[in-house]
Amino acid sequence: MIEIKNLTKRFGDFTAVDHLSLTINTGEFFGLLGPNGAGKTTTISMMSTVLLPSEGEIRIDGQLLDRKASSQKRKLSVITQEYSMRQDMTIDEVMEYQGRLYHLPQKTIAEKSDELLEFVGLKEYHRRTVRHLSGGMKRKVMICRALLIEPEILLLDEPTAGMDALSRRQMWNLLRQVNGRDMTIILTTHYIEEAQALCDRVALINRGSLQKLDTPLNLIDELGAYAVDETTEDGLKSRFFSDRDEAISYLSQAGAMASFRATTLEDVFVECAGRKIS
Amino acid sequence: MGIITVLWEKWVEFRRDFYKITVSAMISPLMYLVIFGMGIQTTSHGEPYLHFLIPGIVAMATMTGSFSAICQNMSVQRLYEKALDQVMVSPTPLWQFILGQIIGGSLRGLYAGCIILFLTWPIRTDLIFNGLSLFIMFLNGTVFSTIALVLSFLAKSYSDAPRFTSFIITPMSFLCNTFFSTDQIPAGFRQLISLLPLSQTSAMIRAIANEEAPGIFGFLVLGAYLVVFGSISVIFIYKKKNL
Repeated sequence: MIEIKNLTKRFGDFTAVDHLSLTINTGEFFGLLGPNGAGKTTTISMMSTVLLPSEGEIRIDGQLLDRKASSQKRKLSVITQEYSMRQDMTIDEVMEYQGRLYHLPQKTIAEKSDELLEFVGLKEYHRRTVRHLSGGMKRKVMICRALLIEPEILLLDEPTAGMDALSRRQMWNLLRQVNGRDMTIILTTHYIEEAQALCDRVALINRGSLQKLDTPLNLIDELGAYAVDETTEDGLKSRFFSDRDEAISYLSQAGAMASFRATTLEDVFVECAGRKIS
Repeated sequence: MGIITVLWEKWVEFRRDFYKITVSAMISPLMYLVIFGMGIQTTSHGEPYLHFLIPGIVAMATMTGSFSAICQNMSVQRLYEKALDQVMVSPTPLWQFILGQIIGGSLRGLYAGCIILFLTWPIRTDLIFNGLSLFIMFLNGTVFSTIALVLSFLAKSYSDAPRFTSFIITPMSFLCNTFFSTDQIPAGFRQLISLLPLSQTSAMIRAIANEEAPGIFGFLVLGAYLVVFGSISVIFIYKKKNL
């Protein structure tokens, strides 16, 4: 279990994360959503100890996570938003370096690397330097690197950014598989449908503070499971209804420029983020 | 274990860039030797100037070799590639990572110094270089590796690494007992210069080369720099809030 208590990060006068408190259960697929600059990456960076909090703390299974906590860090693996790898290393060397940093035996590193690279279709490029890989391939190497050590907790900061639709679907399947092995996954993403498809619970954060925390289904129900989109002079506006008949009744009065659909997590996100921004 | 991992990483880098590393370690020292030692024929303390110059160039080569191996590399890893994040999140104890960097950097410095010894070997100078000389070269490398680590943690942009070289390494190369004896510098400034690590390294290597015993003071100065900058780099990697 991961406990985040009053986590705060300030950069000078700017507060990137503001007294964030969350509890993430073992084996949970947890989404951290928010607009650009909401503090998602800063939170992930604090969870990976790259940044130290200005206030508050993170505990894993009751033990404080800091840069000295080797036993806690052994449980963690992270896929950062940026391609955080030695650009002049080959894929094989990146994997070996990761394995060595986590004290894995050479045989295990070689076997697991082969298996993972084969799975993501990079086996034939194993001697190519990272610098000469496409963005999507680099992302796949980072995923293989993170999974090599079989972590208990996987931190994913925009893991599918730069991937094509097919690769993204493959990635979803892979994440579902590893989550099925009781791996706790914390995901930040700009693709809201990704969070809706994968996450058990999501936290919506804005300007560093927690706005909403629940299952995607509950968040949608709270807003209203049915949506009517209307095209007005001010642009597209959506109205949400808990009752289907009420939504259809509204639609019939709204005229030809309106349409009916199911509410999505993206609507919850837009309502939450949009309201705060305005 | 963490130390071996870092040394493995350094070895991968060295193996890949062997020719670049070797040639760049040769160019500047070789130019100095040719221009000042052979081109401008002169004497120092009644001896050919080359006899004075070679130990200084060897010391300087270990300094630049170690410093550039760490400062440039770590700045790029931290600020541009973000590869340091991979180390920060791993269970490898960070003090082992620092120690690995220091040893790896000093080995690169030692390699650069040995290249100069190899190149000057055919010149019959009767200068003596022994195991103690190699140890002093290694010690000098550890000092400049730790300085490079601290500066790379302070760097705010990718372009800061060359600036550190301009502000620290270049003045030290010229002032610290490499090309001329610090005895000729005015008092006050002389004492200040003699407290810099390269001055002591040059003096000790030169003393051994001339069959004299190196003073204990030099070891103390290098040891003090190593402890101070080594401690700062360990404090930085554990405590710096925004690494």
